[in-house]
Amino acid sequence: MSAQGSNWGNSGAAGKPANYVSPKIVAVYGVLTALTAAITYASYTPFSPTKGYFNLGDSMVFFSALAFGWRAGAICGGIGSAAADILLGSGIYAPITLVAKGAEGLVAGVIGRMKGGKAWAVALGIGAGGACMITTYFLGEWLLLDVGLGKAIAEIPINIAQVVLGGTIGALLSYYVKKSYPSLTKT
Amino acid sequence: MGGFIDLYTEADTFLHRMDPRVKIVAVLLLSLLAFILSHLYLLLALLTFIFLLLFLARATISRTAFALKFVLRFMVLIIILWPIFDPTGTPVLASLGPIKITEPAVWRGVTSAARVGCLATVWYILMFTTSQRDLVRALVKMGVRFDFGLTLAISLRFLPTFGALIDSIKDAQRARGLELSKGGLLKRSKNYVAVLVPTIVSALRTADTLSLALQSRAYGARADRTYLRDLNMRPSDYVALAVLAAILVLPAFAKFVMQVDI
Repeated sequence: MSAQGSNWGNSGAAGKPANYVSPKIVAVYGVLTALTAAITYASYTPFSPTKGYFNLGDSMVFFSALAFGWRAGAICGGIGSAAADILLGSGIYAPITLVAKGAEGLVAGVIGRMKGGKAWAVALGIGAGGACMITTYFLGEWLLLDVGLGKAIAEIPINIAQVVLGGTIGALLSYYVKKSYPSLTKT
Repeated sequence: MGGFIDLYTEADTFLHRMDPRVKIVAVLLLSLLAFILSHLYLLLALLTFIFLLLFLARATISRTAFALKFVLRFMVLIIILWPIFDPTGTPVLASLGPIKITEPAVWRGVTSAARVGCLATVWYILMFTTSQRDLVRALVKMGVRFDFGLTLAISLRFLPTFGALIDSIKDAQRARGLELSKGGLLKRSKNYVAVLVPTIVSALRTADTLSLALQSRAYGARADRTYLRDLNMRPSDYVALAVLAAILVLPAFAKFVMQVDI
């Protein structure tokens, strides 16, 4: 790469190879972000008007974090989920989602991959990450959007259900995908 | 999936021609304004202004309905739930056991709902009038690293592709007898795994090919990359920026410096 750069550039400084992240990471992160958004969108199931809605986006956040590390969890989880929010017509949540799911992916990735991703670390990571997500949503809705304490509390049980189901599915997915396709998850 | 929607609609209005950077700043400024204003009628005026912009951007009725579909339910919930959890103020309109419903609390709920309405709809001015390409280009111009912008562009590009992929995998699994729309939460999620696994594996294979394609096109070979199209601020863009700044600064000045209650 560096030899190529000096051949192409007219001046020495301009011809330097760029200090970008590797193409593999760009490709994998781009794809994981799109996948998170697409799966959140596709698995979106509204229940009766008062009970809210449910989706499997969290399983993809946990999957990215556990299989590819905390950076992938934070970037793909945060941006993918925020994009899905905008596409689903709930753009008001997008900034909070960006922080909440980003933190969820980050924490789950850091804690869940300790000791080479032992079962207890994964469970702890999902619990801690989920707690981050639920707290961010609660504080964001209550203090930032100012929707009132009642509405903010009403969201908590739905979010807990999402973390439990999404965490279980995400952990199993990352385990089996890492086991069956070890070449894919090496970045 | 009912068509994976690209929110952008082609048209030739002043909002479409405006520099995307100005539009991004506009959304941020108008959101800030919604937090500064605390009176119901001012928030309603802001909401009207946002709808006027959406109308001027030639957003069709169905598009506007899409932007409002979610937030309307949300606003109704706020108006109902706010007074129940906020027993302060007089006069008391109704009381049932420990729950008191007071008139100021009802108005606070309505005000908050109006603010949420502003914050939810202001996004769609940007989303309806800016193509994804321009959005990413504007972010890179505003200082986001190029490789990060490229990742974002790739993910936006692949969203509809994966949407279609999920659809066809769903159909394939349904043909094998998988039930996706029946049963409770747990059963439905469990069945969904049969869709997730092939989707993820296929997507990761796509990522592998994609990284080869990036390498073969000399991604990252030179730091001083050039662009086919560049963004340039036109005089009208500066005017729009000045008007927007005035819209934010005047109320902020009145509220925080002159201590006017708005």
